[in-house]
Amino acid sequence: MVLGVSGLTALAAIVGPLPLALGRPPSRSVIGWANALAGGLMIGVAYALLTEGLGGALIAGGLGALLGIFFVRTTHALVGTGELDVDGPDSAGPGGGYKAIVVDSLHAADEGVAIGVAMAVAVPLGVAMAATLAVHNVPEAMLLSTVLTRRGLSVPRAAGVAVAVNLNQVLLAVATFAVLGAVPAGLPWVAGFAVGALMYRSLVELLPESYHQAGETSIAMVTLLAMGIVVLLVGVTG
Amino acid sequence: MNEVLLVFFYALLTAVATGLGAIPFAFVRTISERFAAYSAAVAGGLMLGASFGLVAEGTGYGRGETLIGALLGVGFILITQRFLGEQDGHEMVFEAVSGDGARKMLLILIVMTVHSFAEGVAVGVSFGGGVTLGAIITVAIAIHNVPEGVAISAVLRPQGVSVGRCAGWSIFSSLPQPLMAVPAFLFVETFRTALPYGLGFAAGAMVYMVLVELLPEAYEHGDRAQVATLATVSAVAMVLFQQWL
Repeated sequence: MVLGVSGLTALAAIVGPLPLALGRPPSRSVIGWANALAGGLMIGVAYALLTEGLGGALIAGGLGALLGIFFVRTTHALVGTGELDVDGPDSAGPGGGYKAIVVDSLHAADEGVAIGVAMAVAVPLGVAMAATLAVHNVPEAMLLSTVLTRRGLSVPRAAGVAVAVNLNQVLLAVATFAVLGAVPAGLPWVAGFAVGALMYRSLVELLPESYHQAGETSIAMVTLLAMGIVVLLVGVTG
Repeated sequence: MNEVLLVFFYALLTAVATGLGAIPFAFVRTISERFAAYSAAVAGGLMLGASFGLVAEGTGYGRGETLIGALLGVGFILITQRFLGEQDGHEMVFEAVSGDGARKMLLILIVMTVHSFAEGVAVGVSFGGGVTLGAIITVAIAIHNVPEGVAISAVLRPQGVSVGRCAGWSIFSSLPQPLMAVPAFLFVETFRTALPYGLGFAAGAMVYMVLVELLPEAYEHGDRAQVATLATVSAVAMVLFQQWL
């Protein structure tokens, strides 16, 4: 079930490059709103895991969150993507496309952990998280395929890459669920890790970039809408 | 003591505790743009975490009602922003600060004061379960208010407002708690129905304030990674703190 749900979540990314396939590349504002939508959904997932996933193990959850932040900070430092705007002038060099792919692959890894841990907490929560991240994958794939097509990649190839970067999501969802089945005591640690990584990533990558692309009011609205979607989905599946 | 007076007194104590949030700022000597940015990140994180708690509590009473309340909260801030922006050519002055700084300080004070109305109702409704538990609930809410005082002071102090006045404004922002706790205690059932709307309203207003004012300011003058770290740690710490209480 975890494999199927996370697989569908990853596949949802195929919808993202549709505007490009229809010959209508998204405007700068639309890219900003897509970033805000993706970021708000990640913060929403963090909210759901924080309020429903720790099971009272607060110290373990807190330390897990610190580990999640440390993980993202370290990978950014190693790959050199700490201040990268995927759609900005910094990413215009030859390594820009590669960095955008790396950033999105790392996103998918955290998100896979989030699906796996949510499934381990309760199946309805896992389904809600998978549905949220499926929605999240659409704007993320739109952004990545836009960046890649600007570098000369064809739309089908860019779409293929945008879906492929989400394979991490499936692998880590299944692996996390399996590991937590064997070691249930690790659940609050892993939930905390996912919270720290997702929230930090949203605040260090998606939101700052979105403010450069669209006005603060519209970015705030879209981010809030995304967080509201998560609250609704958790209610519908729960 | 009369039960109503007791509820008022307990709720007043929780409001005074908010002033303790200004204390950490007594140890800061120089206030640079970078300090202001990181203060905004901490304030934003704390408000985001507090909103998570409000939404979690509100959805326990009614999910749709909480979301409708959140929408109303955003609408309220939009109208307030417009009102604060339209001063017929006169530059706004607050605490001897003019322009954007004054507008930002007023906005956070309005947001935090309005959110205290909902918290006051929550206090009153929980007292409705029996005054014997009052002392425990009071201590929990009072401790919970301290980081909210930190959030307010983190916006006021970088504008040059003294620590004493930061504490005063923090307490002021929580005064609706005792005022709302009493009617909520007296008419528990009526207020219980309105509670999810109120909690959602407070959360919507606070998150919107974070997204439209605090985070953009933090990103403008601070290092992005440090802003994200401070905001994430503050938000997670606030949620864990509330769960511990």
